[in-house]
Amino acid sequence: MPLFRSDEFKSFVLAAAVLIAALSPRMASATLGEPEITVQNDVDRAHASIKSSQDRTGYRVHEITLPSGTSMREFVAPSGMVFAVTWRGPIRPDLRQALGQYFEPFVSAPRAKFADRRHLQIQQGDLIVQMSGHMRALFGRAYLSSAIPSGVNVGDLH
Amino acid sequence: MASTRALQWGLCIVLCMTAISCGGGGGGAGSGSSSGGVGGSSSSSSSGGSSSSSSGGVTTGNVANVTVDQGPTNNSVNTLFTMVTVCAPGSTTNCQTIDHIQVDTGSYGLRVLAPILTAAMRSALPVETLTSGKTVAECTQFVDGFAWGPIVTADVQIAGETAKSVPIQSIGDSRYSSVPSDCSSSGGTAENTVASFGANGILGIGPFEIDQPACATSAIAACYYACTTATSCTSSAVPTEMLVANPVTRFATDNNGTIIVLPSAPGPALTVSGSLIFGIDTQANNQSGTQTVLTVDQQAELLITYNGQTLANSFIDSGSNGIFFTDSTISKCTSTLTDFYCPANTLTLGLSIEGVNGTMVNNLTFEVGNAQTMLNANPTFNVFPQLAGTNPNTGSFDYGLAFFYGKRVAVAVEGEVTSAGTGPYIAF
Repeated sequence: MPLFRSDEFKSFVLAAAVLIAALSPRMASATLGEPEITVQNDVDRAHASIKSSQDRTGYRVHEITLPSGTSMREFVAPSGMVFAVTWRGPIRPDLRQALGQYFEPFVSAPRAKFADRRHLQIQQGDLIVQMSGHMRALFGRAYLSSAIPSGVNVGDLH
Repeated sequence: MASTRALQWGLCIVLCMTAISCGGGGGGAGSGSSSGGVGGSSSSSSSGGSSSSSSGGVTTGNVANVTVDQGPTNNSVNTLFTMVTVCAPGSTTNCQTIDHIQVDTGSYGLRVLAPILTAAMRSALPVETLTSGKTVAECTQFVDGFAWGPIVTADVQIAGETAKSVPIQSIGDSRYSSVPSDCSSSGGTAENTVASFGANGILGIGPFEIDQPACATSAIAACYYACTTATSCTSSAVPTEMLVANPVTRFATDNNGTIIVLPSAPGPALTVSGSLIFGIDTQANNQSGTQTVLTVDQQAELLITYNGQTLANSFIDSGSNGIFFTDSTISKCTSTLTDFYCPANTLTLGLSIEGVNGTMVNNLTFEVGNAQTMLNANPTFNVFPQLAGTNPNTGSFDYGLAFFYGKRVAVAVEGEVTSAGTGPYIAF
């Protein structure tokens, strides 16, 4: 099912997104579990730029490039809620901002056995945070398992 | 044969050093602090002074002993350790030898947990200072968290090799007790103590010279910092030559790469020991021979094909304690090991590895055991070659220390020319 029924509306939204991006080079990341509108909130702090906004079947993706070169993606459900955030690059994004209310549960979650600075998996209620990689190439994703739109595969969140 | 000899040498070096640091204790040179070495191998460091310096020639040569053991936190698995000596710049006597420094081909530079250093040693290692007069600190990003601390300059001795005035990080340094909020906002665990770090330090010997080149040109949050006082730091660009550097690249000789040689480990074992050889094609004991050279990209990554999928973000890494890849058909463990695999029976699986130079190594096999069963059956063991787990990056295969068991693996630094090829490469 398409995210937006009318092609017109879709074009309008895309145009608006492009316009906002053009007018406000400081716009960036949204916050997990909050409305897409938060995309505009902290672009200030991140000094980032929106690289692309793309509709996919069942969700929309905003891709943001941070000054470190790290690429961050925000996944927006048809309801307008950010249900997942992923990142890839040399430096993690500001996860306090990106995870919002889920940041503290994430950092205070107990660590699994055999920590090794190369992988991490946290599950705290609805929140799942998974990270892998190595120095200069860190990968991670955080999502709310109950908020993943039907038909969307977790493996597509990268 | 050569490798056997190297191994014997390495063993001899460590035995000799252990004997000296435990039994000697003296040497005295102005340290005054007690040695923590009485208890044997756990989190001890010999006291300052010259107890472990090159007296008697025991640390000459380009071979350091490496061991997979329980580590200073007594719970390490598949974690490779060595011993490193840090000295005040220009000194060969004002030094401290630190055991259980993790050997990591997946990072760059030496980082030492500051609490391991004696107070005298800490103050003998000058904190880097920018022309503005501000001091330099770093928020080092590891996958599962960050490490905070100032960048200090030290002469670094490993085996008989010395790197003079190399920038290293002093992690968890009590003088820099205030972690900037944009560092901690990068998330994960603060790895600023031996307990949380799981080692007394880390020796990053990946195939590049410095840790974060992007942070030389602009101020990036959660990277390098300039500090007006030790507790007031803001993100800052830091000149390349002041960034933490792989100390091997600063050795006077044998500085173009490393070779890790470990015995094979067919199954779980208490420990294994081997050699970390410095240099490639620089000595009789580090000749390239007929190794296959796989060039890696700027992220030190190459391609691994598993289960019909070519995974472009793959890497071979002594700093990974398992084999991490995606395969939804393999049963995961439950309870505390949820990101590891627990198949009913040990699986033998195939893969091939391709360098970015197009060279392929086909038909390799690896095994995946039941992590829970192996751990339950061998609660005191530290070597688990069949330990494997999930990888959220479905485009990546992380082949950890298990790859190194039973192999001779060379890592050549970017731009360095050896008889086998030009770095950055991994060869085996």
